[in-house]
Amino acid sequence: MGEVKSKQYIDVRLGKDLYGIEIEYIDNIIVMQNITRVPKSQPYFLGVINLRGEVVPVMSLRLKLGLEEAEFTSATRIIIVKPDPQAASIGIIVDEVNEVINLKDDDIEHIKYDDKDGKKAFSKGLGKLGSDLVILLDIPELVIETED
Amino acid sequence: MDVNQYLEIFIEETKEHLQSMNEHILVLEKEPNNQDTINEIFRAAHSLKGMAGTMGYKKMQTLTHDMENVFMEIRNGNMKASSDLVDVLFKGLDVLEAFLANIQADGTEGDLTCEDIIADLNNILSKGLKTADKDSKAADTSTGKKSRVDADQIPEGKEKDKFRALVIEEHEKKAIAKALSLGLNVVGLTVYIQEYCVLKGARAFMVNRTLDEHGDIIKLFPNAQDLEDEKYDFDYSAFVITKESPEQLANHIMNISEIKEVVADYIKLSEEELNTFLKAIKQDEEILSARKTAMATGKFAGGSAPKQSAKPIANRSVRVDIEKLDGLMNLVSELIIAKNSLVSSSNSLHNQLDPEYFDQIEYLERVTTNLHESVMKVRMVPIESVVNRFPRMIRDLSKKLDKQMQLFMSGEETELDRTLIDEIGDPLMHILRNAADHGLENTDERRKSGKVPVGSIYFNAYQEGNNVVIEVRDDGKGIDVKKIKKKAIQKGVITEEQANRMTDKDIIDILFMPSFSTSEEITDVSGRGVGLDVVKTKIETLGGDIEAKTKLGEGSSFIIRLPLTLAIIQSLMVTIGAEKFALPLGNIQTVENVVSEEIKRVHGKEVLNLRGSVIPIIRLGEILECEKTEELDHVLVVIIKKGDKLAGVVVDDLIGQQEIVIKSIGKYIKNHKIISGATILGNGEVALILDLNSLV
Repeated sequence: MGEVKSKQYIDVRLGKDLYGIEIEYIDNIIVMQNITRVPKSQPYFLGVINLRGEVVPVMSLRLKLGLEEAEFTSATRIIIVKPDPQAASIGIIVDEVNEVINLKDDDIEHIKYDDKDGKKAFSKGLGKLGSDLVILLDIPELVIETED
Repeated sequence: MDVNQYLEIFIEETKEHLQSMNEHILVLEKEPNNQDTINEIFRAAHSLKGMAGTMGYKKMQTLTHDMENVFMEIRNGNMKASSDLVDVLFKGLDVLEAFLANIQADGTEGDLTCEDIIADLNNILSKGLKTADKDSKAADTSTGKKSRVDADQIPEGKEKDKFRALVIEEHEKKAIAKALSLGLNVVGLTVYIQEYCVLKGARAFMVNRTLDEHGDIIKLFPNAQDLEDEKYDFDYSAFVITKESPEQLANHIMNISEIKEVVADYIKLSEEELNTFLKAIKQDEEILSARKTAMATGKFAGGSAPKQSAKPIANRSVRVDIEKLDGLMNLVSELIIAKNSLVSSSNSLHNQLDPEYFDQIEYLERVTTNLHESVMKVRMVPIESVVNRFPRMIRDLSKKLDKQMQLFMSGEETELDRTLIDEIGDPLMHILRNAADHGLENTDERRKSGKVPVGSIYFNAYQEGNNVVIEVRDDGKGIDVKKIKKKAIQKGVITEEQANRMTDKDIIDILFMPSFSTSEEITDVSGRGVGLDVVKTKIETLGGDIEAKTKLGEGSSFIIRLPLTLAIIQSLMVTIGAEKFALPLGNIQTVENVVSEEIKRVHGKEVLNLRGSVIPIIRLGEILECEKTEELDHVLVVIIKKGDKLAGVVVDDLIGQQEIVIKSIGKYIKNHKIISGATILGNGEVALILDLNSLV
């Protein structure tokens, strides 16, 4: 591996775009479940699921990022993440999970996004994976609701 | 000796002793001659001193020692428990509590000082003794009762023959008189155990066994239970009826190892006493022979010790860490979820399965329900542990506010889940303080309005279905609705127009809004603007609710309702549209099948005339934004009750009653306040639990 630090990410797909989620936040990846709607919740929260006896809220990554809704397919997965080891779990719905990737610091381009258009990017930077670009998600930022 | 391992026990027991002293000193203030109470205080103080000494808490030890001296004089009848004295004693207890709090925090007593209280105590002691000396002598000669073994020798704690200071109860005197009449010796002795002795309890047991071999022990101080529990310093006293001389007895005891010294002497009664008791014994014997039963022996003490039999001798209990219980409760929750899924899968396979199987499933259901109930019961504690500090608080408030008041408590034995108990203390205290400060008038005002000068506060707790109800009522001036209205408008909480439309009840509810305080002046007892709203929020987070009722001039009452437990509840499962919801059974009164036309619109709101009372109708489907279902001729209305308010909730269908485990839906997701949590159904689906209280 050499001396350059590298981190592992899970590479997921939303539409045509690739997103990366740091593996240390990920607790579990499960197939689509029955979701119980929670009235009056934030629109991107689809509801709650039963994860081995625990009630876990799930959000649609598409809706959270301001993308269009899409049909759930057999490839749709819920990624269970914890923003920190002590925190409660939360599920993130993605179109597809591809693979585990290694990204060295050199492969990552840190980009500052400004929230000009009101939409947050919840991103820490862009990873280069061959010819593809992977948008690296900032999980704590994504999951923890900040007061708007 | 490493004492740290005992620290936990020390803290627990010290708390108990302090509470017991608090309670008994309150009684003592009202009944200064109650011998049982004095003995109880003395015993608690004595144990406390011993324990503090063992643990090396010098300041605590000194203070309790001086307090004990005072109790000793009270017990011996040399002093009266005056109000001043009680004040100082309470101050002493407060300091002890502060020490304890410090010990709990960092294991040391901290740098609090107690010299001034000790000085006060000694002051009272010397003053009290001088004035009371004459009184007590006069009293002694006139009544002849409560005489001590030796009236002239007031023990200073330095004499070695401590047994002489013991108060001999009437029935004990009787026993002594009888023994003397039979030519036996009555020997009093004080046994000193070496201070390095580790198993004091066992030592005391050996001494007592030796005494038993040579005679009958008729009195032990401290009593046998305390000796066994090592609740004594390094000495204790006993009275023994024996054939042997004091010297012989002392020699027997000195043969046991780790005994430092034994002081023993004959116990005599005065000629006069001897005769009266012998006469009494004769009478007893006549009654006894007439009844031919030996049952009544202990009961002929003539009421001198009426409470003794009522006291529990020892608690057969185990202390368990609350976390372990939480763990157990979680396991039971899991078990119930597993059972529910078994039940639902067995229902879908109804035709293929052996009937035997269903018997077993039913049996499993019964067992899990019982198991849950048992675990819940283990977690339940009487609210006594929270409310027993209230009498003391009211007494202090009474002095501080210079108002005469008394507190009547009932239902202290009502049980609540442990987690609730810990949380409910502060809100209750706040309400009591409010009642004392704002509710009750001062003595002059009460006289003017023709009331008894002493204000009363009633504290009552009881169980009502799945809820525990706590009522705090006062007979004070009541809440002035007009005043609140004026103030609310002034503060901009409501507009004048709104105010005119509001009912009195609505206005009273303003009291629970943030930052609303009606008291004109701010006192340090209550009324800093943060108040009832905090209480309300706290109670609501516990899943309960609070309401106020008042009658101007007659008083007000605050009623708190709390769920019995937080973890598992019985619920009614219903469907609305395609979704399932759980309604806590505790709120539900009935379910009515109503013809649609009977639901009328009044002022744009739907109401139902249900057997003479008009109740509001709530369409859950609309609140929860469920899919619309087509209107039918009949609708199902679940009638819910909160206090004396009723409301009807429209649902589409009933599934049935089910035991559900309450799970939090977490803090990430925002939700309507009507959703109090979620539960996992037998088929693994998640259903939301609706808090019907918030609807009424």
